[in-house]
Amino acid sequence: MFFRMIRGTLFRQWKKMLMIAFTIALGASLATAMLSVMLDVGDKVNQELKTYGANITVVPKESSVLSELYEVEGGESSGAYLREDELGKIKTIFWAFNIVDYAPFVNVSAELDDGTEIAVVGSWFNHHMELPTGEQLDAGVTSMRSWWEISSGEWLDEQNHSNDNSAMVGKALAEKENISVGSTIHIKGNTNDNTFTVVGIFDAGGDEDDKIFVPLNAAQALSDLDGCIDSIEVSALTTPDNELAEKAAKDPSSLTVSQYETWYCTAYVSSICYQIQEVITDSVASPVRQVADSEGAILEKTQLLMILITILSLIGAALGICNLVTASVMERSSEIGLMKAIGAQNGAVSGLVLTEIFITAIIGGFAGFFAGFGFAQIIGHTVFGSSITMRPMVIPIVAVLVVIVTLIGSIPAIRMLLRLRPTEVLHGR
Amino acid sequence: MTKRKMYFKMITASLMRRRSRMIVALLSIAIGATVLSGLVTIYYDVPRQLGAEFRNYGANMIFTANGDELLLDEVNQGVSYISDEQLVGVAPYRYENVRINEIPIVAAGTEIEGAKLTSPYWSVDGEWPSQSGEIMVGANVAENFRLKVGGDITVNYTPEEKETSDEVVVDNSIDFKITGILDTGGSEEDYVYMSLDDLQELTEDVGNISVAELSVSANSDELTAYADKINSNIPSVSARLVKRVTASETTVLTKLQALVLLVTIVVLALTMICVATTMTAVVAERRKEIGLRKAIGASDKSIIIEFVGESMLLGLLGGILGTVLGFVFAQEVSVNVFNSSISFRPLLVPITILASIAVTAISSLIPIRSATDVDPALVLKGE
Repeated sequence: MFFRMIRGTLFRQWKKMLMIAFTIALGASLATAMLSVMLDVGDKVNQELKTYGANITVVPKESSVLSELYEVEGGESSGAYLREDELGKIKTIFWAFNIVDYAPFVNVSAELDDGTEIAVVGSWFNHHMELPTGEQLDAGVTSMRSWWEISSGEWLDEQNHSNDNSAMVGKALAEKENISVGSTIHIKGNTNDNTFTVVGIFDAGGDEDDKIFVPLNAAQALSDLDGCIDSIEVSALTTPDNELAEKAAKDPSSLTVSQYETWYCTAYVSSICYQIQEVITDSVASPVRQVADSEGAILEKTQLLMILITILSLIGAALGICNLVTASVMERSSEIGLMKAIGAQNGAVSGLVLTEIFITAIIGGFAGFFAGFGFAQIIGHTVFGSSITMRPMVIPIVAVLVVIVTLIGSIPAIRMLLRLRPTEVLHGR
Repeated sequence: MTKRKMYFKMITASLMRRRSRMIVALLSIAIGATVLSGLVTIYYDVPRQLGAEFRNYGANMIFTANGDELLLDEVNQGVSYISDEQLVGVAPYRYENVRINEIPIVAAGTEIEGAKLTSPYWSVDGEWPSQSGEIMVGANVAENFRLKVGGDITVNYTPEEKETSDEVVVDNSIDFKITGILDTGGSEEDYVYMSLDDLQELTEDVGNISVAELSVSANSDELTAYADKINSNIPSVSARLVKRVTASETTVLTKLQALVLLVTIVVLALTMICVATTMTAVVAERRKEIGLRKAIGASDKSIIIEFVGESMLLGLLGGILGTVLGFVFAQEVSVNVFNSSISFRPLLVPITILASIAVTAISSLIPIRSATDVDPALVLKGE
C-alpha cells in the first residue's frame, strides 16, 4: 500500500515532483560545478603563471658567488660548470611531475667578422625528451620565454635537424649589426668558428635583446665546452611557502624528522630546490623570488576568492532547494488532512511525504551532479583550454548537501502539517 | 480611486495573510538578488584588485637615459605623466663600482622607500636601511665577505678623475652599518644597496641615474600609451616596458577575469532559475483561489494584473534586500581576499531591483496563465 501510494504521487503529481527534482538538480549542479572549479583552480592558475618563466635557477656551486663579481671587471666565465648529461635527472626527483619545463644555458663570448664582441647563448628551444617514466616533454626557451615577441621570422625548431646551425638574434643586436631573417652570420668563438643562419629576430624587452641564441651543442662547440652548461632554469608548480618552508629554506637540518618528511613531501619551492641539488652534482638551486613569491600571493588570493564565491553559491543553492521543498509540502495540506481524517498516524504521514521527497531528490541530485560536471568542463575549456579534473571528494559533499538541505527544507513544513487539525484543513481554512 | 485602493488592499492583504509562504518566496528572491549584485560587483572589481596583486612581480616600466645623461629631475618629470592613482612606486637606481676589502663590488644607490614598493618580492633578512650610514648587502656578497646583520663594513671608491692623474690616489671611504641581507634569487644578490645620498657622498658628485624602475598598476595598452607620451615629451628619457612582466600579466589577468565572468554567469543563471521555480510553485498553489475568482466573475486580465502586481511587489522588496546583502557580501570578500574595500556601483542598484522584479513577474505569469486558461469548474473541482 505504501509503495502504491508513493507511486501514485510520483505519477499523478509528476508535474509538481518534476519541478522539485528540477530545482534540486539546479542546486546540485551549481554545487558540483563550483566545487570542482574551486578545487582545481589552484593547479590551473599555477599553470597560467608559468608564463612568467622559471621560478628556480640552478648554477654551479663555485660560480654562484664569483661569476658576477668578476664580470664587473670584464671577465666572463668562472670555470665551474654543470654537467649536461645530468639534465635528465631533474625529471627523476620526488616532485618530477611538478617540473613543467626547464632549459639549460651556456654563455659564450664570441666575435663577429668585423670584430664586434657579442654574447652567444646556447640553449634548448623545443628539446624533445622521452623520459624513463614514458612521459614525453618538449622543453626549452620556446615555452620558457613566452613573453618574447618574434618581430620577424619564427621560433627556431630544434627538432628539425637542418636547424642545427640556426640562430635567433635579439632585436637590439639585429638593428645594430643589420641582421635580418635569412642572413648568415659568421661567429668566431674562443676555439672554433661556425656560420649560422638567422631564423628569427625577437624582442625580449631586456638584456637578451643584445644576445644571439643558438642550439646548445652549437654554442658548446664554439668554445670547446662539450657537455658543459652554465645554468639551468626550472619552471615548477609549487605550493605557497608557509612557516615550515621558510624554516627549512634556511637550514633543512634544523627540522625534526617528521617536519623534514612533511617538508620534503610537499611541493614547496625550497624542497624542490633541495631535491634538484641532490641530483645535480655541485649545484646550487635557488628560488627566483620575483616569480616564486608573487606566484604564491596571486595563487592564494585567487583560491580564496573562488572559495568565497563557492560558499555564496552553495548557500544560494541550499536556500533555493529548502524554499521549494517547504512550499511544495505545505501546499499539500488538504491531502494530508484527508489522510489524517481517515485515521493515518503522524509517523506514517511524515514517512510517506519524506520518502516521496527523497526519491525526487535522488533523481534530481544525480541529474544535477552530471550537469554540474558539464558546467565545470565548459568553464575549464573556455577559460583555461583544458578540462577540470574530477575530484572524488566532490561526490560525497554534494550528496550530503542535497540530503541535508532536503531534510531541513521538509522538516518545518511537515511539523506544521502534523499540527493541522483535519477538520479545519478539510473545511478549507 | 476606490478601484486602485481596493487593488492595493487586496495585494497587501494577500501578502499579510499568507505571511509564512510569502516570507519563503521573499527569501528566495532576496538570495537571487544578493547573488546578482554581489557577483557582478566582484566581477567589476576583480581586475583592479588582482591587478594590484600582480604588482608583486615588481617594476613593469623602466626609464633609461636616451643619450648620455639621466638626472633625477628628469625621472620625476617623467613620473608626473603617470596618474597618481595608478602609480605604485618609483625607484631610481644609480650603479657605481666600489670596493670592499679591495674587491670590486657594484653599489646601487636608490630611494629606499621607492625600492620597497617596486620590488615587494625582495626578501630581506634584517631591516631595510632607513637612514644615512646604513647599507643592505646582497646574499652572495654577505657570504663572500662573511658579513652579518649588524656588522660594519668600509666601502671605498676611487674617483675617476684622480685615477689618471699623477697624484697619489686617495680613496673616498665611508663606514656603513649593515642592516639587512638581501635574498632575491637574482643578480641583486651580488650588489650592495644604500641611499642615493650616501652614494653621492661617497662619489662626491651628483651623478646620473642609471635606471629608474616604475611599478604602475595599469594594463599593457595604458602602459604603452604612457611610455609613448613620456618618450615624445621628455627627450632625455627612454621609457620602456618590462615585457616579461607586462606580457605575462595580460595573459594571466585575462584568464582570471574570464574565469570570474563565467562563474558569475553560471551561478546567476542557476540562481535565477531557482527563484523562478520557487515563484512558480508559490503561485501555482493558488489555482483554487484563481478558479473561485473566475467563478464569481473576475476577468482574466484583472486576475493577471493582481497576481503579477503581487509578485512585483515581492520582487521589489527582495531586490532591495538583495542589493544591500550583495554589497555586504562583496565587501566581505574584498576585505578578506584583497584587504581593501570595494567600490560601490550605484548603477547596480536599479539593475538588481529591476532584474528581480522582472524575474518574479515572468515566473509568476506562467502558472497564472495556465490557471486562468482552465475552466473554473475544473480548477475548483481540483483537477
